[in-house]
Amino acid sequence: MDLKFLASDRVEAFVSHLMQQKTVYAPQHTGKHSVALEKVDDPAAVILDYGRTMQSVKKFFLPPRDELLSFDLTDHSFTPAAVEPLDAILLGIHSYDRAAIDRLDYNFSQGHPEKNYLTRREGVVWVGVSFEPDEFHFSGSVGISPHETAGFDAFLTRVREGYLVEVLTDAGRELVSGFELPPAERPKPAPGHFHQHIFLPQAKLNEVMAASYNNEIWAEMAEKCVGCGSCNIVCPTCYCFNVEENVDITVTGGTRERIWDGCMLREFTEVAGGEVFRGGLAERQRHRVMRKFKYLSDKTGHPWCVGCGRCTAYCTAGISIVSIVNRCVSDFEERHTTAM
Amino acid sequence: MKLNESVSTQEPQDLYLPVMSEVLEVKRLTELETLYTVQLPGGRDLGHQPGQFVEVSVFGVGEAPFSISSSPTRQGVFELGIRRVGLLTEKLAELKPGDKVGIRGPFGHGIDLEKFKGKDVLIIAGGIGLVPMRSLINYVLDRRDEFGRLIICYGSRSDQELLFTDEIAAWQEDPDVDFHVTVDRGSPQWEGKVGVITTLIPGLDLDLDRTVCCVCGPPVMYRFVLLALKSRGLPDEAIYMSLERRMKCGVGKCGHCQINHSYVCQDGPVYHYPDLKSLEEAL
Repeated sequence: MDLKFLASDRVEAFVSHLMQQKTVYAPQHTGKHSVALEKVDDPAAVILDYGRTMQSVKKFFLPPRDELLSFDLTDHSFTPAAVEPLDAILLGIHSYDRAAIDRLDYNFSQGHPEKNYLTRREGVVWVGVSFEPDEFHFSGSVGISPHETAGFDAFLTRVREGYLVEVLTDAGRELVSGFELPPAERPKPAPGHFHQHIFLPQAKLNEVMAASYNNEIWAEMAEKCVGCGSCNIVCPTCYCFNVEENVDITVTGGTRERIWDGCMLREFTEVAGGEVFRGGLAERQRHRVMRKFKYLSDKTGHPWCVGCGRCTAYCTAGISIVSIVNRCVSDFEERHTTAM
Repeated sequence: MKLNESVSTQEPQDLYLPVMSEVLEVKRLTELETLYTVQLPGGRDLGHQPGQFVEVSVFGVGEAPFSISSSPTRQGVFELGIRRVGLLTEKLAELKPGDKVGIRGPFGHGIDLEKFKGKDVLIIAGGIGLVPMRSLINYVLDRRDEFGRLIICYGSRSDQELLFTDEIAAWQEDPDVDFHVTVDRGSPQWEGKVGVITTLIPGLDLDLDRTVCCVCGPPVMYRFVLLALKSRGLPDEAIYMSLERRMKCGVGKCGHCQINHSYVCQDGPVYHYPDLKSLEEAL
């Protein structure tokens, strides 16, 4: 691997170089402590050393509000919404968020491939950056290293004096061409250590979760959970949506939009007539966690949780997904030890 | 396995655009239920299987899944039996012949007719569950030689709420149909059976070796019907069940209809009962 070096004092120039090629989206401060992925206007505003953004890159391909069509109530005709490829450079993306996009790609490509999402996905050049695991990250437990380069065109690994640059694809080569990067004088360092761990290899989790369906943890979490759906809304692999009609004030037309929805909300499974199929918070917590660690992983062989820590970091009730899974693991192991 | 190895190679599609279709007839079935006859542009065939559903929408109001009530043997138009229970269905109740509705579909896994052919077909429908089952009933009646006996058990809350009363009268007359009906509460005029639907099952004349059964009704009905069928000795493999969920997109994307690992809009709404046993949330 050809490893180059980008000195800290040249990062701004590097961002400018990227901006000359395509629109760049990168992490920037939106408040004193909050960092969000936004369009870059000022290369100096880009922050490559950050914990996590509240929203992942999902928002670019599956926007929180996404118009599907506009309708005319006078003649009941409709016009499909125009959907454009993002066609941009996504800079400073963490490995778990790139892994989450693989999962969304799967969802929107399998069975009936969906034009809206797949069109937006086109033309993206991915530039990753390593991260230093904080008190919430646990992607190492689901097989995603802070240095994982899969899916990226180029990857920046943070070292004291700047970044080591790996060019991984032709698109990545094109991106850095014309910008002088000297060869790195040292190899890639070892990734940072995680402070949060699931105490079982990912391959064995399916078995544990299958045996945890009736665990008391779900009822215990229901005591704490307020059912606000924040965990769904910040999750980079949650893709569920609802469809709504918005009628103009003139009542002559409007739009049909899909909006993010969450399985933690009571209305999520409600059908006409009032039947709610997952009425209890315990069932909803179980569904959320099982979806990440069992239902979708059984289908695809990959956990649907990428260990970003968002659902825990932003939980309004202090619920930790790592604690839930570890409780399932320890109860499982205890039962098996007792059985022997 | 890599995630992208299992994805479809089909071209991406516009999945959420409705086909504007004409309402040809509107027929009141009861105070709450209406039967709509709908035609796709150019009289195009819907191409559905009994048990499948379509997404019906009215601009400015919304879109929801409804099961198809007509048999695919009757081509050119299709029928939807819809109960007035919410905003969209109230709006649908105002439709007149000539009005347009948006249609997407057909969606879902319907009844596997190959498994039913040559067999005695037992249909257990509770309340509005008769709407999708009518598709299967009329399919069997239209292709009578391909099936054995047709046995129908229909339960309704009251005799005023009975659906398709003229067709029921015809099924009762038809010597080729073994039809049973009961109501939970009968009016003074009601001369038929009174009791829940499970009371019909012990008295049925069944050839257990050649019977397949399809059950559709309100969620509360399934456990009791299953118990009654089991006590008659009908094997689990002979039982199919149609489930209701909130299929918002119909194409396995929106997540609303998920029951454990299964998406009702993809694996259902008609499930083979042995497959349902691994879905703890199904009933």
